[in-house]
Amino acid sequence: MPAVGSAVLVGMADIQVIKGSGQLSCLGLGSCIGLCGLDPIANVAGMVHVMLPQAFQNKGEAKPGKFADTGVPALIAEMLKAGADRGRLRFAMAGGAQVFKFSANTESKLDIGARNAQAVQEVIRSLGLRIIAHDTGGSVGRTVSFTTETGIYTVKTVTSGETTLCNLRA
Amino acid sequence: MQLEGMNGMISSPTLTLEDIVAKTSDLPSLPAAALAVMRETDSPTGTAQSIARYLSQDQALTARILRLANSAYYGLARQIIDVSDAVVVLGMRCIRNLCMVASTYPWMTKPLKGYGLGPREMWTHSFAVAVGSQLVATRSRSAVSDQAFTAGLLHNLGKVALSIWLEDKLGGMLAIACREGLTFDQVERKILGFDHCDVGAHMGEVWNLPKPLIEAMKFHHNPNGCEPFNPLVDCVHVADYLTMSMGLGLGGDGLRYDFQEEALIRLNLTPESFDELAEEFMVSYEQHEKLFEDAS
Repeated sequence: MPAVGSAVLVGMADIQVIKGSGQLSCLGLGSCIGLCGLDPIANVAGMVHVMLPQAFQNKGEAKPGKFADTGVPALIAEMLKAGADRGRLRFAMAGGAQVFKFSANTESKLDIGARNAQAVQEVIRSLGLRIIAHDTGGSVGRTVSFTTETGIYTVKTVTSGETTLCNLRA
Repeated sequence: MQLEGMNGMISSPTLTLEDIVAKTSDLPSLPAAALAVMRETDSPTGTAQSIARYLSQDQALTARILRLANSAYYGLARQIIDVSDAVVVLGMRCIRNLCMVASTYPWMTKPLKGYGLGPREMWTHSFAVAVGSQLVATRSRSAVSDQAFTAGLLHNLGKVALSIWLEDKLGGMLAIACREGLTFDQVERKILGFDHCDVGAHMGEVWNLPKPLIEAMKFHHNPNGCEPFNPLVDCVHVADYLTMSMGLGLGGDGLRYDFQEEALIRLNLTPESFDELAEEFMVSYEQHEKLFEDAS
């Protein structure tokens, strides 16, 4: 059941969907991604807190939100179940930070943040959808919030305070 | 050591590494009983009886350990009523870790304004690095897991002491970092002449901690600089990276540090297996976090 009119914390690997007014937040994103979707007509919003790009083969997972390749489709499925229309969905994402510098092979698989951001983008694109705004990369921790009534997705960092990334209703 | 601050960021009188320890009020400390328990568990002659004897000399610490030992996390069928009982039921290694947790929790949960850390955030980060170091040590079979836990728990000790001296300077330090392309510890060294790793190692020496633990504090951002290589340092470096990546207890310095892939290689772990390690780490962290659900 989607939450209604509440402030919902989206924990690591969680998927949360709300119908009507409310707020969704991911606290302290490092390399993780906070992807938010909205259907502005049906007033259905959802957020997934993605930890890693790809689910492991041969390993069952109770939390599809953990990975980009399973989390994004699962988020969309939850939103459709709550009454959203696929054709009206708009997305924004933030996070995907990584350490300042790797000492050795830059092509290695250690840059989880960049791979997370890329994986989410690719899954969204492969589903024929679009991310209208993103704030990813860098070496800063981020807290993200989305308010369904206003459609505003904000990104907060320790040093820059809270800034508006986009308005998913605009 | 005596070095001038730069760009007017650190006002006179000039701050030295020794000043940090000598002049910081409310400096954290480890109870003597906790240090004794650490030594006993590292010693081949340490026994359950000797550990219980040391612990029983510190009633406040004993009370905190018993509270943790009786938490739902351990799910024991009966209540543990004294430390001798706790050592027998949970084992020496477990008691050592509980002892370190009970000793550091009170001062690690305070906010550290100098690093942009709110209440409990320093604790969250340190505990996560402790759990991660233990996991990496076990998986790589490179170090004793409870020593890795302690090394992870204490790795950022220097920040606790240095924070008060950096209040109101975080924004300026990050501006220098961005302008000059430096990591946060490089900026600390640039304006102070030393970094939080040096401060932590100095405190570790003052506390008379074992050398491998002091090295873990000193080299956790530069494990390649530790000669000869110390597996504990490598475990903490990798666990710190996992913890930062998962966003656990991030401050204003965020992830603005280097990751030295060589540490991973020395531990016989591969970059290709890193995602699985990260996933395993979060599962382990969430399990261990339950220890505090009704005990903190």
